[in-house]
Amino acid sequence: MSGCHSSHGMRRVALGLSLAAGCLAVLAAGTGGADQQTPAASTSDRAQPQRPFRPTTLFNSGDPTLALTPPLLGGGRAPPGSAPPNPDPRDLEGVWWVQGYEYLLGPAPGVPPPLKPKYMQILEQRIRAKNRGTPEADTETQCLSHGMPRLMESPYPIEIVQTPGRITFLHEVAHEVRRIWMNRPHPPHPRISFLGDSVGRWQGDTLIVDTVAIDDRSFIDDEGSSHSTRLHLVERYRKIDGGAALELIMTVEDPVTLEHAYSYRRILHWRPDVRPEEYICEENNRNAPVNGITVAK
Amino acid sequence: MAGAARAAPPDLTGVWSVVDPPHALRPIDGSAPPLTPSARALYEQHLAAAARGDRSFDGMTRCLPPGLPRLLFVNQPFEILERPKVIYFIYQLNRLPRRAYLGEQLPDDADPLWLGYSVARWDGDTLVIDSAGFNDLTLLDDAGLPHSEALRLTERYRLSRDGRHLDARFTIDDPKSYTRPWTVRARYVRRPGYEIPEEFCMDALRRTHPAGHL
Repeated sequence: MSGCHSSHGMRRVALGLSLAAGCLAVLAAGTGGADQQTPAASTSDRAQPQRPFRPTTLFNSGDPTLALTPPLLGGGRAPPGSAPPNPDPRDLEGVWWVQGYEYLLGPAPGVPPPLKPKYMQILEQRIRAKNRGTPEADTETQCLSHGMPRLMESPYPIEIVQTPGRITFLHEVAHEVRRIWMNRPHPPHPRISFLGDSVGRWQGDTLIVDTVAIDDRSFIDDEGSSHSTRLHLVERYRKIDGGAALELIMTVEDPVTLEHAYSYRRILHWRPDVRPEEYICEENNRNAPVNGITVAK
Repeated sequence: MAGAARAAPPDLTGVWSVVDPPHALRPIDGSAPPLTPSARALYEQHLAAAARGDRSFDGMTRCLPPGLPRLLFVNQPFEILERPKVIYFIYQLNRLPRRAYLGEQLPDDADPLWLGYSVARWDGDTLVIDSAGFNDLTLLDDAGLPHSEALRLTERYRLSRDGRHLDARFTIDDPKSYTRPWTVRARYVRRPGYEIPEEFCMDALRRTHPAGHL
Protein backbone atom coordinates (compact mmCIF):
# COMPACT_ATOMS: atom_id res chain seq x y z
CA MET A 1 0.00 0.00 0.00
CA SER A 2 2.99 2.27 -0.20
CA GLY A 3 1.41 4.01 -3.17
CA CYS A 4 -0.99 5.77 -0.85
CA HIS A 5 1.59 7.60 1.14
CA SER A 6 5.15 7.12 0.02
CA SER A 7 5.10 8.81 -3.32
CA HIS A 8 6.23 12.40 -3.31
CA GLY A 9 3.15 13.63 -5.07
CA MET A 10 0.52 11.92 -2.99
CA ARG A 11 2.02 13.26 0.18
CA ARG A 12 1.25 16.72 -1.07
CA VAL A 13 -2.45 15.97 -0.89
CA ALA A 14 -3.45 18.15 1.96
CA LEU A 15 -6.84 16.97 3.09
CA GLY A 16 -7.59 13.81 4.91
CA LEU A 17 -10.65 13.19 2.81
CA SER A 18 -8.73 13.54 -0.40
CA LEU A 19 -6.08 11.24 0.97
CA ALA A 20 -8.58 8.67 2.01
CA ALA A 21 -10.24 8.80 -1.38
CA GLY A 22 -6.91 8.42 -3.16
CA CYS A 23 -5.91 5.52 -0.98
CA LEU A 24 -9.25 3.84 -1.45
CA ALA A 25 -8.77 4.04 -5.19
CA VAL A 26 -5.38 2.40 -4.86
CA LEU A 27 -6.85 -0.25 -2.62
CA ALA A 28 -9.57 -1.00 -5.09
CA ALA A 29 -7.16 -1.16 -7.98
CA GLY A 30 -4.31 -2.95 -6.29
CA THR A 31 -5.71 -5.45 -3.87
CA GLY A 32 -9.07 -6.28 -5.31
CA GLY A 33 -10.50 -9.29 -3.60
CA ALA A 34 -7.52 -9.76 -1.32
CA ASP A 35 -9.77 -10.10 1.68
CA GLN A 36 -11.64 -12.91 0.03
CA GLN A 37 -8.48 -14.77 -0.89
CA THR A 38 -8.37 -18.15 0.76
CA PRO A 39 -5.30 -20.31 1.34
CA ALA A 40 -6.80 -23.01 -0.89
CA ALA A 41 -6.70 -20.62 -3.81
CA SER A 42 -2.94 -20.41 -3.60
CA THR A 43 -0.58 -22.94 -5.07
CA SER A 44 2.00 -22.28 -2.39
CA ASP A 45 0.05 -22.24 0.83
CA ARG A 46 3.09 -22.43 3.04
CA ALA A 47 4.78 -19.44 1.49
CA GLN A 48 1.72 -17.22 1.88
CA PRO A 49 0.89 -16.36 5.45
CA GLN A 50 -2.82 -16.35 6.02
CA ARG A 51 -4.22 -12.93 6.67
CA PRO A 52 -5.99 -13.00 10.03
CA PHE A 53 -9.74 -12.68 9.94
CA ARG A 54 -11.00 -9.14 10.23
CA PRO A 55 -14.52 -7.75 10.00
CA THR A 56 -15.26 -5.59 6.99
CA THR A 57 -18.47 -4.22 8.50
CA LEU A 58 -19.14 -2.93 11.98
CA PHE A 59 -19.74 -5.91 14.30
CA ASN A 60 -19.17 -8.12 11.22
CA SER A 61 -22.88 -7.56 10.57
CA GLY A 62 -22.59 -7.81 6.80
CA ASP A 63 -24.70 -4.63 6.64
CA PRO A 64 -23.26 -2.59 3.76
CA THR A 65 -24.39 0.66 5.39
CA LEU A 66 -21.96 -0.22 8.18
CA ALA A 67 -19.02 -1.00 5.87
CA LEU A 68 -15.66 -0.14 7.40
CA THR A 69 -13.04 1.68 5.42
CA PRO A 70 -10.45 -0.96 4.49
CA PRO A 71 -7.12 -0.52 6.26
CA LEU A 72 -3.85 0.20 4.57
CA LEU A 73 -1.58 -2.74 5.19
CA GLY A 74 2.18 -2.98 5.35
CA GLY A 75 4.28 -0.09 4.16
CA GLY A 76 6.30 2.30 6.18
CA ARG A 77 9.66 0.52 5.88
CA ALA A 78 12.91 2.16 4.83
CA PRO A 79 14.15 1.06 1.40
CA PRO A 80 17.15 -1.29 1.25
CA GLY A 81 20.47 0.50 1.53
CA SER A 82 19.16 3.19 3.92
CA ALA A 83 21.39 4.42 6.73
CA PRO A 84 21.53 1.95 9.64
CA PRO A 85 19.33 2.62 12.67
CA ASN A 86 20.66 4.07 15.88
CA PRO A 87 20.69 1.25 18.46
CA ASP A 88 20.72 3.62 21.49
CA PRO A 89 17.43 2.66 23.16
CA ARG A 90 16.88 6.12 24.64
CA ASP A 91 17.72 8.11 21.54
CA LEU A 92 14.56 8.27 19.47
CA GLU A 93 15.66 11.19 17.30
CA GLY A 94 14.93 10.87 13.64
CA VAL A 95 12.05 10.17 11.33
CA TRP A 96 9.57 7.33 11.91
CA TRP A 97 6.66 6.07 9.84
CA VAL A 98 3.79 3.98 11.12
CA GLN A 99 3.16 0.64 9.47
CA GLY A 100 -0.35 0.29 8.10
CA TYR A 101 -3.29 2.52 8.82
CA GLU A 102 -6.37 1.40 10.69
CA TYR A 103 -9.52 3.48 10.39
CA LEU A 104 -10.99 1.95 13.53
CA LEU A 105 -8.71 2.09 16.57
CA GLY A 106 -10.15 -0.62 18.79
CA PRO A 107 -8.48 -3.46 20.64
CA ALA A 108 -8.15 -5.57 17.46
CA PRO A 109 -8.24 -4.92 13.70
CA GLY A 110 -11.77 -4.16 12.49
CA VAL A 111 -13.11 -4.04 16.04
CA PRO A 112 -14.44 -0.77 17.48
CA PRO A 113 -13.35 0.64 20.82
CA PRO A 114 -15.50 -0.67 23.68
CA LEU A 115 -17.89 2.27 23.45
CA LYS A 116 -20.85 2.64 25.76
CA PRO A 117 -24.16 2.03 23.92
CA LYS A 118 -24.93 5.72 23.40
CA TYR A 119 -21.54 6.31 21.77
CA MET A 120 -21.67 3.09 19.77
CA GLN A 121 -24.90 4.42 18.25
CA ILE A 122 -23.12 7.65 17.34
CA LEU A 123 -20.32 5.63 15.70
CA GLU A 124 -22.93 3.71 13.69
CA GLN A 125 -24.50 6.99 12.56
CA ARG A 126 -21.14 8.32 11.47
CA ILE A 127 -20.25 5.17 9.55
CA ARG A 128 -23.65 5.21 7.84
CA ALA A 129 -23.22 8.88 6.90
CA LYS A 130 -19.80 8.08 5.46
CA ASN A 131 -21.22 5.22 3.41
CA ARG A 132 -23.96 7.51 2.10
CA GLY A 133 -21.23 9.82 0.81
CA THR A 134 -21.97 12.58 3.32
CA PRO A 135 -19.44 12.02 6.07
CA GLU A 136 -19.57 14.18 9.17
CA ALA A 137 -17.13 17.08 8.84
CA ASP A 138 -14.58 15.92 11.37
CA THR A 139 -11.85 18.10 12.81
CA GLU A 140 -9.11 17.28 10.32
CA THR A 141 -11.44 18.02 7.41
CA GLN A 142 -11.77 21.53 8.80
CA CYS A 143 -8.01 21.97 9.12
CA LEU A 144 -8.27 21.48 12.85
CA SER A 145 -6.31 18.78 14.63
CA HIS A 146 -6.55 15.04 14.07
CA GLY A 147 -6.73 14.72 17.81
CA MET A 148 -5.44 11.75 19.78
CA PRO A 149 -4.86 8.84 19.50
CA ARG A 150 -5.85 9.24 15.83
CA LEU A 151 -2.85 11.47 15.04
CA MET A 152 -0.43 8.66 15.86
CA GLU A 153 -2.14 6.50 13.22
CA SER A 154 -1.78 9.01 10.42
CA PRO A 155 0.26 7.57 7.53
CA TYR A 156 2.78 10.38 7.39
CA PRO A 157 6.29 10.73 8.79
CA ILE A 158 6.85 11.74 12.40
CA GLU A 159 10.14 13.44 13.28
CA ILE A 160 11.20 13.07 16.90
CA VAL A 161 13.48 15.75 18.41
CA GLN A 162 15.02 15.35 21.86
CA THR A 163 16.17 18.38 23.82
CA PRO A 164 16.74 18.73 27.58
CA GLY A 165 13.50 18.04 29.44
CA ARG A 166 11.52 17.56 26.25
CA ILE A 167 10.70 15.11 23.53
CA THR A 168 8.98 16.74 20.59
CA PHE A 169 7.00 14.94 17.89
CA LEU A 170 6.89 16.93 14.67
CA HIS A 171 4.23 15.37 12.46
CA GLU A 172 4.31 16.03 8.76
CA VAL A 173 0.53 15.77 8.62
CA ALA A 174 -0.88 19.26 9.20
CA HIS A 175 2.45 20.07 10.91
CA GLU A 176 0.99 18.96 14.19
CA VAL A 177 3.35 19.33 17.15
CA ARG A 178 3.31 17.22 20.29
CA ARG A 179 5.42 18.50 23.17
CA ILE A 180 6.14 15.80 25.73
CA TRP A 181 7.48 17.26 28.95
CA MET A 182 9.82 14.83 30.68
CA ASN A 183 9.83 13.98 34.37
CA ARG A 184 7.16 16.33 35.53
CA PRO A 185 3.51 15.87 36.50
CA HIS A 186 0.56 17.26 34.61
CA PRO A 187 -0.39 20.75 35.80
CA PRO A 188 -3.32 20.71 38.23
CA HIS A 189 -5.64 22.28 35.66
CA PRO A 190 -4.21 21.60 32.21
CA ARG A 191 -5.58 23.64 29.33
CA ILE A 192 -7.82 21.57 27.06
CA SER A 193 -6.22 21.15 23.63
CA PHE A 194 -6.56 18.80 20.68
CA LEU A 195 -3.36 16.92 21.46
CA GLY A 196 -3.66 17.25 25.21
CA ASP A 197 -1.07 17.74 27.93
CA SER A 198 1.66 15.13 27.60
CA VAL A 199 4.28 14.18 30.17
CA GLY A 200 6.90 11.48 29.72
CA ARG A 201 9.40 9.36 31.61
CA TRP A 202 11.75 6.50 30.90
CA GLN A 203 11.13 3.17 32.56
CA GLY A 204 14.18 1.18 31.57
CA ASP A 205 14.33 1.46 27.82
CA THR A 206 10.61 2.23 27.47
CA LEU A 207 9.38 5.78 27.06
CA ILE A 208 6.04 6.19 28.80
CA VAL A 209 3.92 9.15 27.72
CA ASP A 210 0.82 10.09 29.68
CA THR A 211 -1.69 12.42 28.02
CA VAL A 212 -4.82 14.11 29.41
CA ALA A 213 -6.99 17.19 28.73
CA ILE A 214 -7.88 16.37 25.13
CA ASP A 215 -10.50 18.42 23.30
CA ASP A 216 -13.62 16.31 22.77
CA ARG A 217 -14.33 17.65 19.28
CA SER A 218 -11.84 15.16 17.84
CA PHE A 219 -12.48 11.44 17.45
CA ILE A 220 -10.50 8.46 18.67
CA ASP A 221 -10.26 7.19 15.11
CA ASP A 222 -11.16 7.98 11.51
CA GLU A 223 -14.48 6.14 11.62
CA GLY A 224 -15.63 8.44 14.42
CA SER A 225 -15.40 6.78 17.81
CA SER A 226 -16.17 9.42 20.42
CA HIS A 227 -14.10 10.43 23.37
CA SER A 228 -14.62 12.97 26.11
CA THR A 229 -12.23 15.49 27.65
CA ARG A 230 -11.58 12.79 30.26
CA LEU A 231 -9.80 10.68 27.67
CA HIS A 232 -6.56 9.39 29.18
CA LEU A 233 -3.86 7.90 26.98
CA VAL A 234 -0.74 6.02 27.98
CA GLU A 235 1.77 5.35 25.22
CA ARG A 236 4.68 2.99 25.70
CA TYR A 237 7.45 3.32 23.12
CA ARG A 238 10.32 0.85 22.88
CA LYS A 239 12.92 0.34 20.18
CA ILE A 240 12.95 -3.14 18.69
CA ASP A 241 14.95 -4.83 15.92
CA GLY A 242 18.10 -2.96 16.90
CA GLY A 243 16.37 0.38 16.47
CA ALA A 244 14.93 -0.36 13.04
CA ALA A 245 11.46 -0.10 14.52
CA LEU A 246 9.64 1.54 17.39
CA GLU A 247 6.92 -0.43 19.13
CA LEU A 248 4.00 1.58 20.44
CA ILE A 249 1.53 0.15 22.93
CA MET A 250 -1.35 2.62 23.19
CA THR A 251 -3.70 2.35 26.15
CA VAL A 252 -6.98 4.24 25.83
CA GLU A 253 -9.18 5.03 28.81
CA ASP A 254 -12.29 7.22 28.94
CA PRO A 255 -14.79 6.85 31.78
CA VAL A 256 -17.40 8.83 29.82
CA THR A 257 -17.49 7.06 26.45
CA LEU A 258 -15.78 3.69 27.03
CA GLU A 259 -16.96 0.65 28.95
CA HIS A 260 -13.38 -0.15 29.88
CA ALA A 261 -9.80 0.69 28.98
CA TYR A 262 -8.14 -1.13 26.09
CA SER A 263 -4.82 -1.24 24.30
CA TYR A 264 -3.49 -1.76 20.82
CA ARG A 265 -0.02 -2.20 19.36
CA ARG A 266 1.62 -0.42 16.45
CA ILE A 267 5.00 -0.51 14.75
CA LEU A 268 6.74 2.60 13.46
CA HIS A 269 9.66 2.13 11.11
CA TRP A 270 12.96 4.03 11.24
CA ARG A 271 13.10 6.16 8.10
CA PRO A 272 16.48 7.85 7.65
CA ASP A 273 15.64 8.27 3.97
CA VAL A 274 12.66 10.55 4.63
CA ARG A 275 12.70 14.30 5.17
CA PRO A 276 9.37 15.73 6.32
CA GLU A 277 7.71 17.87 3.70
CA GLU A 278 5.61 20.98 3.95
CA TYR A 279 1.91 20.22 4.45
CA ILE A 280 -0.50 23.14 4.42
CA CYS A 281 -4.05 21.97 5.04
CA GLU A 282 -5.43 25.49 4.64
CA GLU A 283 -4.18 25.61 1.05
CA ASN A 284 -6.59 22.94 -0.02
CA ASN A 285 -9.56 23.54 2.21
CA ARG A 286 -12.21 22.86 -0.40
CA ASN A 287 -14.36 20.84 1.94
CA ALA A 288 -15.66 23.62 4.10
CA PRO A 289 -18.65 22.17 5.91
CA VAL A 290 -22.17 23.20 4.94
CA ASN A 291 -24.54 22.85 7.87
CA GLY A 292 -22.08 20.49 9.50
CA ILE A 293 -21.90 18.16 6.51
CA THR A 294 -18.89 17.92 4.26
CA VAL A 295 -19.75 18.44 0.62
CA ALA A 296 -17.11 17.42 -1.90
CA LYS A 297 -16.37 20.25 -4.28
CA MET B 1 32.34 22.59 8.20
CA ALA B 2 34.83 25.21 9.24
CA GLY B 3 33.13 25.36 12.59
CA ALA B 4 33.98 21.78 13.45
CA ALA B 5 37.17 22.69 15.29
CA ARG B 6 35.63 25.64 17.11
CA ALA B 7 33.95 25.78 20.44
CA ALA B 8 30.36 24.59 20.52
CA PRO B 9 28.00 27.07 18.86
CA PRO B 10 25.82 29.19 21.13
CA ASP B 11 22.72 27.36 22.31
CA LEU B 12 19.67 29.08 20.92
CA THR B 13 17.23 26.42 22.17
CA GLY B 14 14.30 28.05 23.89
CA VAL B 15 11.31 30.30 23.34
CA TRP B 16 11.72 33.75 21.76
CA SER B 17 9.51 36.73 20.87
CA VAL B 18 10.11 39.46 18.33
CA VAL B 19 10.66 42.97 19.75
CA ASP B 20 8.69 45.86 18.21
CA PRO B 21 7.80 44.25 14.88
CA PRO B 22 7.21 46.82 12.13
CA HIS B 23 4.03 46.93 10.06
CA ALA B 24 6.02 47.81 6.92
CA LEU B 25 9.59 46.66 6.35
CA ARG B 26 12.24 49.22 5.47
CA PRO B 27 15.93 48.89 4.74
CA ILE B 28 18.20 49.52 7.72
CA ASP B 29 19.17 52.95 6.37
CA GLY B 30 15.50 54.01 6.48
CA SER B 31 15.16 54.34 2.70
CA ALA B 32 12.16 53.00 0.84
CA PRO B 33 12.22 49.37 -0.34
CA PRO B 34 13.76 49.38 -3.86
CA LEU B 35 10.70 48.06 -5.67
CA THR B 36 10.79 47.30 -9.37
CA PRO B 37 7.97 48.99 -11.37
CA SER B 38 5.82 45.86 -11.59
CA ALA B 39 6.23 45.08 -7.89
CA ARG B 40 5.46 48.71 -7.05
CA ALA B 41 2.21 48.48 -9.00
CA LEU B 42 1.24 45.36 -7.08
CA TYR B 43 2.22 46.94 -3.77
CA GLU B 44 0.10 49.99 -4.52
CA GLN B 45 -2.86 47.72 -5.29
CA HIS B 46 -2.40 46.11 -1.88
CA LEU B 47 -2.19 49.49 -0.14
CA ALA B 48 -5.32 50.71 -1.92
CA ALA B 49 -7.25 47.55 -1.08
CA ALA B 50 -6.18 47.72 2.57
CA ALA B 51 -7.30 51.35 2.69
CA ARG B 52 -10.76 50.17 1.56
CA GLY B 53 -10.73 47.55 4.30
CA ASP B 54 -10.22 44.73 1.79
CA ARG B 55 -7.44 42.42 2.91
CA SER B 56 -8.35 39.55 0.60
CA PHE B 57 -4.87 39.88 -0.94
CA ASP B 58 -3.50 38.64 2.37
CA GLY B 59 -3.60 34.84 2.75
CA MET B 60 -3.00 35.16 6.49
CA THR B 61 -6.61 36.27 6.81
CA ARG B 62 -7.51 32.75 5.60
CA CYS B 63 -4.97 30.99 7.84
CA LEU B 64 -2.46 30.52 5.05
CA PRO B 65 1.19 30.73 6.11
CA PRO B 66 2.64 34.24 6.18
CA GLY B 67 5.72 33.16 4.27
CA LEU B 68 9.14 34.64 4.89
CA PRO B 69 10.40 37.01 6.11
CA ARG B 70 6.94 38.01 7.34
CA LEU B 71 6.72 35.03 9.69
CA LEU B 72 9.87 36.31 11.41
CA PHE B 73 7.97 39.45 12.44
CA VAL B 74 4.74 37.82 13.59
CA ASN B 75 4.12 39.06 17.11
CA GLN B 76 3.76 35.63 18.70
CA PRO B 77 6.45 33.52 20.39
CA PHE B 78 8.36 30.78 18.63
CA GLU B 79 10.66 28.06 19.78
CA ILE B 80 14.12 27.16 18.55
CA LEU B 81 15.29 23.57 18.97
CA GLU B 82 18.97 23.48 18.12
CA ARG B 83 20.32 20.07 17.17
CA PRO B 84 23.60 19.10 15.49
CA LYS B 85 22.19 18.58 12.00
CA VAL B 86 19.01 20.63 12.01
CA ILE B 87 17.88 23.84 13.66
CA TYR B 88 14.11 23.77 14.14
CA PHE B 89 11.97 26.86 14.45
CA ILE B 90 8.46 26.08 15.67
CA TYR B 91 6.15 29.07 15.63
CA GLN B 92 3.16 29.44 17.88
CA LEU B 93 1.30 30.84 14.85
CA ASN B 94 -0.70 27.87 13.61
CA ARG B 95 2.15 25.55 14.72
CA LEU B 96 4.22 26.38 11.65
CA PRO B 97 7.57 24.59 11.57
CA ARG B 98 10.80 25.48 9.82
CA ARG B 99 13.84 23.27 9.48
CA ALA B 100 17.25 24.67 8.59
CA TYR B 101 19.63 21.89 7.61
CA LEU B 102 23.22 22.40 8.75
CA GLY B 103 26.10 21.62 6.45
CA GLU B 104 23.97 21.42 3.31
CA GLN B 105 23.70 23.49 0.17
CA LEU B 106 20.51 24.93 -1.23
CA PRO B 107 19.17 22.84 -4.09
CA ASP B 108 19.55 24.53 -7.49
CA ASP B 109 15.85 24.33 -8.23
CA ALA B 110 13.96 24.04 -4.96
CA ASP B 111 10.23 23.37 -5.23
CA PRO B 112 8.15 26.44 -4.39
CA LEU B 113 6.87 26.18 -0.83
CA TRP B 114 5.12 28.52 1.58
CA LEU B 115 8.12 28.60 3.90
CA GLY B 116 10.84 27.73 1.41
CA TYR B 117 13.79 25.44 1.84
CA SER B 118 16.48 26.44 4.33
CA VAL B 119 20.09 25.52 4.99
CA ALA B 120 22.15 26.77 7.92
CA ARG B 121 25.76 27.35 8.85
CA TRP B 122 27.66 28.94 11.66
CA ASP B 123 29.77 31.93 10.67
CA GLY B 124 31.74 32.26 13.90
CA ASP B 125 29.05 32.76 16.50
CA THR B 126 26.51 33.98 13.95
CA LEU B 127 23.89 31.57 12.67
CA VAL B 128 23.38 32.11 8.96
CA ILE B 129 20.33 30.63 7.24
CA ASP B 130 19.93 30.75 3.48
CA SER B 131 16.50 30.05 2.02
CA ALA B 132 15.04 29.71 -1.44
CA GLY B 133 12.16 27.85 -3.05
CA PHE B 134 9.32 30.18 -2.12
CA ASN B 135 5.95 30.40 -3.80
CA ASP B 136 4.77 33.91 -4.66
CA LEU B 137 1.50 33.67 -2.71
CA THR B 138 2.84 35.38 0.40
CA LEU B 139 3.89 38.91 1.32
CA LEU B 140 7.08 40.24 2.82
CA ASP B 141 5.26 42.22 5.51
CA ASP B 142 1.87 43.15 6.92
CA ALA B 143 1.69 46.20 4.67
CA GLY B 144 1.70 44.02 1.57
CA LEU B 145 5.17 44.21 0.02
CA PRO B 146 5.18 41.54 -2.68
CA HIS B 147 7.85 39.09 -3.75
CA SER B 148 8.34 36.62 -6.54
CA GLU B 149 9.39 32.97 -6.64
CA ALA B 150 12.93 34.25 -7.22
CA LEU B 151 13.12 35.41 -3.59
CA ARG B 152 16.22 34.36 -1.70
CA LEU B 153 16.46 35.20 1.95
CA THR B 154 19.54 35.28 4.16
CA GLU B 155 18.99 35.42 7.91
CA ARG B 156 21.82 36.18 10.30
CA TYR B 157 21.24 35.64 14.03
CA ARG B 158 23.65 36.55 16.78
CA LEU B 159 23.13 35.93 20.48
CA SER B 160 23.70 39.00 22.65
CA ARG B 161 26.45 38.85 25.23
CA ASP B 162 23.97 38.39 28.06
CA GLY B 163 22.31 35.55 26.16
CA ARG B 164 18.88 37.20 26.43
CA HIS B 165 18.52 38.68 22.98
CA LEU B 166 18.98 37.57 19.42
CA ASP B 167 19.99 40.31 17.03
CA ALA B 168 19.11 39.53 13.47
CA ARG B 169 19.52 40.89 9.97
CA PHE B 170 17.57 39.59 7.04
CA THR B 171 18.64 40.22 3.47
CA ILE B 172 15.95 40.10 0.81
CA ASP B 173 17.23 39.29 -2.66
CA ASP B 174 14.49 39.13 -5.28
CA PRO B 175 15.63 40.65 -8.58
CA LYS B 176 12.13 40.40 -10.04
CA SER B 177 10.61 42.52 -7.29
CA TYR B 178 13.49 44.66 -5.99
CA THR B 179 16.23 46.47 -7.89
CA ARG B 180 18.88 45.42 -5.36
CA PRO B 181 19.19 43.22 -2.28
CA TRP B 182 18.17 45.04 0.87
CA THR B 183 18.57 44.28 4.54
CA VAL B 184 16.25 44.70 7.50
CA ARG B 185 16.94 44.43 11.19
CA ALA B 186 15.08 42.45 13.86
CA ARG B 187 15.49 41.72 17.52
CA TYR B 188 14.18 38.87 19.64
CA VAL B 189 14.00 38.40 23.39
CA ARG B 190 14.09 35.14 25.31
CA ARG B 191 10.88 34.08 27.01
CA PRO B 192 12.07 31.90 29.85
CA GLY B 193 9.32 29.74 31.33
CA TYR B 194 6.89 30.40 28.47
CA GLU B 195 5.42 27.21 27.04
CA ILE B 196 3.95 27.53 23.58
CA PRO B 197 0.27 26.58 23.64
CA GLU B 198 -1.37 24.61 20.86
CA GLU B 199 -2.87 26.94 18.28
CA PHE B 200 -5.08 26.12 15.31
CA CYS B 201 -5.69 29.18 13.18
CA MET B 202 -8.92 27.76 11.76
CA ASP B 203 -10.26 27.36 15.27
CA ALA B 204 -9.64 31.01 16.05
CA LEU B 205 -11.11 32.01 12.69
CA ARG B 206 -14.26 29.99 13.32
CA ARG B 207 -14.74 31.77 16.61
CA THR B 208 -14.66 35.10 14.79
CA HIS B 209 -16.67 33.81 11.78
CA PRO B 210 -19.33 31.69 13.47
CA ALA B 211 -20.92 30.64 10.18
CA GLY B 212 -17.78 28.69 9.41
CA HIS B 213 -17.67 29.97 5.86
CA LEU B 214 -14.58 31.67 4.55
